[in-house]
Amino acid sequence: MLAADPQDTSVLAGGQSLIPMMNFRVALPGNLVDINFLDELDYIRLDDGWLAIGARVRQSALERSDLAAREAPLLTEALQFVAHPPVRHRGTVVGSIAHADPAAELPAVLRALDGEVVVRGELGERRVPASELFQGPLTTTVSPGEMITEVRVPARSPAGGAVVEISRRVSDFAIAGAAVSLWGDGAQPAAIALFGVGPIPVRAQAAEALLSDRYGAPSTEVGAAAMSEVSPSGDIHGSAEYRRSVAGVCVERALARARKGGS
Amino acid sequence: MNRVPIAVTVNGVRHEAEVESRLLLVDFLREELDLVGVHIGCEHGVCGTCTVLMNGESIRSCITFAVQADGAELTTVESLAQGETLHPLQEAFWEKQGLQCGYCTPGMLLRSLELLRENPQPSADEVREAISSNLCRCTGYQFIIDSVLEAAEQMGA
Amino acid sequence: MATAHHPPTRDLSRERKWVGKSIRRVEDPKFLRGRGNYIDDMRVPGMLHAALVRSPYAHARILRIDVEAARQLPGVFAVVTGAQAAELTDPLPDFGPAADKHVWRCLAVDKVRYVGEGVAAIVAESRYVAEDAADLVEVEYEQLAPVVDPEAALAPDAAIIHEPLGTNLAYERTFTFGEVDRDFAEADLIVSDRLRWHRSGGQPLETVGAIATYEIGTGMMTIQTNSLSFTSYLFMLAGTLKIPPNRLDMQPHPAGGSFGTKLFATKVSAIAGMLSKVVGRPVKYVEDRIDNISNCDHHGSDRVYYADLAVMRDGTLRSLRVHTIDDYGAYIQFGVGHHGNALAQATGPYHIGSLEYGVKAVLTNKCQQGAYRGFGSEVHNWMLERMVDLAARELHMDPAEIRRANFIRKDEFPYFIPTGNVYDSGDYEGVLDKALALADYEGCREMQRQAREEGRYVGIGLVTCQERSVFSATEFWFWFDEPAAPVTSMPESITLRVGALGDITATLYSCAFWGNSPETMVAQLVAEEFDVEPHDVSVIYAGSRNGLPATGPGGSRTTVMLAGAIEGATERIKEKAFKVAEHMLEANVDDLEWREGGVQVKGSPGTRKSLGDIALQTHLFKHSLPEEIESGLEASKVYDHPYTTMPSADRSDLGVFYPFVGHACHIPIVEVDIETGQVRFLKYVAVHDCGTLVNPRSLAGHITGGVMQGIGTALYEQFVYDETGNLLTQSYLDYLIPTAMEAPEFVIGHQETPSPWTPHGIKGGGEGGRMMAPAAVAAAIDDALAPIGVRARVLPATPSRLLELINGAKQATAEPA
Repeated sequence: MLAADPQDTSVLAGGQSLIPMMNFRVALPGNLVDINFLDELDYIRLDDGWLAIGARVRQSALERSDLAAREAPLLTEALQFVAHPPVRHRGTVVGSIAHADPAAELPAVLRALDGEVVVRGELGERRVPASELFQGPLTTTVSPGEMITEVRVPARSPAGGAVVEISRRVSDFAIAGAAVSLWGDGAQPAAIALFGVGPIPVRAQAAEALLSDRYGAPSTEVGAAAMSEVSPSGDIHGSAEYRRSVAGVCVERALARARKGGS
Repeated sequence: MNRVPIAVTVNGVRHEAEVESRLLLVDFLREELDLVGVHIGCEHGVCGTCTVLMNGESIRSCITFAVQADGAELTTVESLAQGETLHPLQEAFWEKQGLQCGYCTPGMLLRSLELLRENPQPSADEVREAISSNLCRCTGYQFIIDSVLEAAEQMGA
Repeated sequence: MATAHHPPTRDLSRERKWVGKSIRRVEDPKFLRGRGNYIDDMRVPGMLHAALVRSPYAHARILRIDVEAARQLPGVFAVVTGAQAAELTDPLPDFGPAADKHVWRCLAVDKVRYVGEGVAAIVAESRYVAEDAADLVEVEYEQLAPVVDPEAALAPDAAIIHEPLGTNLAYERTFTFGEVDRDFAEADLIVSDRLRWHRSGGQPLETVGAIATYEIGTGMMTIQTNSLSFTSYLFMLAGTLKIPPNRLDMQPHPAGGSFGTKLFATKVSAIAGMLSKVVGRPVKYVEDRIDNISNCDHHGSDRVYYADLAVMRDGTLRSLRVHTIDDYGAYIQFGVGHHGNALAQATGPYHIGSLEYGVKAVLTNKCQQGAYRGFGSEVHNWMLERMVDLAARELHMDPAEIRRANFIRKDEFPYFIPTGNVYDSGDYEGVLDKALALADYEGCREMQRQAREEGRYVGIGLVTCQERSVFSATEFWFWFDEPAAPVTSMPESITLRVGALGDITATLYSCAFWGNSPETMVAQLVAEEFDVEPHDVSVIYAGSRNGLPATGPGGSRTTVMLAGAIEGATERIKEKAFKVAEHMLEANVDDLEWREGGVQVKGSPGTRKSLGDIALQTHLFKHSLPEEIESGLEASKVYDHPYTTMPSADRSDLGVFYPFVGHACHIPIVEVDIETGQVRFLKYVAVHDCGTLVNPRSLAGHITGGVMQGIGTALYEQFVYDETGNLLTQSYLDYLIPTAMEAPEFVIGHQETPSPWTPHGIKGGGEGGRMMAPAAVAAAIDDALAPIGVRARVLPATPSRLLELINGAKQATAEPA
């Protein structure tokens, strides 16, 4: 169906991002493909060392999932920041990732966990790692005529993890945020993903490298390292300088919390 | 615009209708079913005055299409009172003045109902967090929290 | 000073049964059931729906509008452009300084003056189709230079918003009261500041809406709306619609909040009325949220202040000099009434002896200002308290100490302030002491000391402000030496009818329910007079056509004015009841007394005739009544503003125009996260004194709600226009109304210092919370950041703004001298 008229067709899952845009008449798809009745896409399961989440899974369902809490606790932690429960009752995990809002939590968590998505189109299925998925604000490498059917993260219990975000009101879009996973002192001890600080979520590579070098480096130093590698743009909710500043604070605080065995 | 047949159960009553696929659930409830207790505040899913329960879960009917409610069971504020008798939540809101203009009230009542089903004896902080999904411009939220706590006490008794 | 004109001093010793009780509100059951009958709940057979095409530009000439495609869309009944609207309607009711030059119409005609201004209106079978058609309207604009900054708007090369006016300075005037120059010359210290208050607005969750039905056969225009007030002025709206004033009937519906923004919001009614005439069918126009945010005609104050406060070494506040530039947007419907409002209490609760007040009202390419809870006096309170705190800091005085030293004393009332207005009563020290105790002020200061040692930035704000109530008309026109319309009527009316079985119905005029509690107030006040059950009193709202003159809610006037009207009407009913009872009891009226809702021979309860007994006689048994008594038991009272005096010719004395003045002390405690600039509340204490309270819990609800709006203004809410005049906050994604998580836990205290001049000693209190909170929150932030030397001189004090100040201050101290 998506392939029939790809430029004028959108996928309707939770609709929590799409329908407001349609109400504003900013998004005007001629066709909607409603996947809400596709029960076969409603699963949370372990699949060969990965936690696999189908496109129909509601955010609140993942929040309640014991499996997810065990195998990908950073996802569970991030969900409490996503809007409000009534929105999470409808919004889907895959939907938030496909929507790719630069200030959204789940795309950043996907980056932090080195996850991937399964994209299905007329020509078949492909896997896209998180590092290649996000192209720009509200833009992914999923083409018109394709849709994400599943999101996957390696099933792995971290040594600690935390999500910290700064927003105007509790539950608003992040002005800046950090999702941190600590894997223990080893080859890749930490994953730090930032959101709200640029057109797409990014891994704070300099900060991660610092921790690789010195796993016990002070959180403030790591935060400063993260700050130095982002150049966000500003808007009415936060100037560019403000976003950069608080991005560093988010990393510092998320790391501190993760070190206390958070999540 | 194509019309799609749907069947929705609202407050225990089954309705069949043919609706435009772009018809919002809030407009379906208000215009087709005359359930005007569901309100429109922003039409972009922020304020929560359009809150209804779908299969027991609170959702925002202004960012849900009517066709997405096909086969679902919906609950609106009109189902709370039983004839002359108000629901304990309604009594509590009345007693504690949890409303002033009344516009956010149906949404607040349903969200509170959901909360008390999940958590029959919430703390004040838990109530505060739960209702933060719904805006109120009149009360400053304090008396709404008082109302929900009062209802919890009455319903637990 | 016109002391002779004040109302008689009342004896308030009588015990009250219903006034003062926090009864359940009479209004609530229908709202709890979702049966509120808001305007959008209303259906009229044959009703069509309207939507507007709005301007995307701040300032542009309309070159061409092509509506053909829109007209052809199936389901569309009419498309009306601004040019066509200018034939169908006259300009909107406008109380501005030069309404014939800053001409305000329901749709823009030759140019648009702000983003969101309507340029065309569509009528269709549904709102969906109307919006589809709106998308098909093609408008060709020629963009003009936008005027956005109010100070830049006054530059000689600035584009002119209204060419016939020839300037963007819509009005300016400076008033001087008392010996300002001398007081400043003699001062030991002068503190000065530039302060900026950005515009926010009421933004009730329900927008303005109207259903208009024009019946060509009768010439009647019936408009159902959630904005009904100022009915004495509705002849102006009839004029707009080009119909005779006695063919216009406005019928009120409950509103989902107003906070001032539904006060005389005539444009929506005018558009619906015009469209109904065009299509010959009822037309409903309900604003959607973007319509309302961008085109509501009710943005709040938007001011730059240059303020100087003259102070003596011992902390005595001598004089205040204020010059303010107020950005009114593209029109100025209420003139500078907002500044008249400030002048009612311009010197606060203090002995400040002289005042210079200058205002420049500037036009820009923004939605115009209207009314928002406080109507401009809340901004003045904020400015004044900032200056007092600045003085306190310079003098190393505790903020409570400097205020106490300057308070008007309990025995000095009635107290005339330099502008000429009067404060009827007060006990400011009592309120302060109560607030300090409730907040455990000493404990808080100790907690703050400890927090500072831990490197935490905790602040305690303390403000003491006035909350004037019951406005009179002169604040709108005393600005002009030769006002075109020196209006002096601002009444409120009520009709009370006692039915044959003693059932009581009260009719309100020019009034809708807005979330305030008019029915409960009326029920309690009537119950007090007749000793009946408040919930048995039936309250109805009359349309304008059945109207007695009345003003409607605003300026915290409703309860006091209705109390006066009720007192008058019940007196008339009781007078008649006595005459009937005299006849029934065959006694002389001098031997009778009113007792427990009836009339009896003095000291003889067995003789008592209830109001119901008496009413039955009057309705059915004419022959049992004295000959001169008419059947029925009903009375109306038009209650005029009880204490208005005229300004002096030279305007050195503005007269009395806001005589019933309450007072409050707010003490919020906040913590500022200096790494993120975020502010969170630890506690919020507020003590209000609005005289005698009718329903204490109801008032407490208005206080907490008002404080929450004040917190919104102080921290979260702003209508943001960028340098091209583009409105960046067009939805609730960007206009941030606080949620429960941003709300503090409130501790509310009451004090009741009655007014000597109102029924039961009541004063108005609906606006108070918002009138204090921005000042209080700003004070708390300043106190928290005092160690860094940062002050919040711009509101809203967003995290971004605060962090910039914090980092700037840190840099300043880090840099070598």
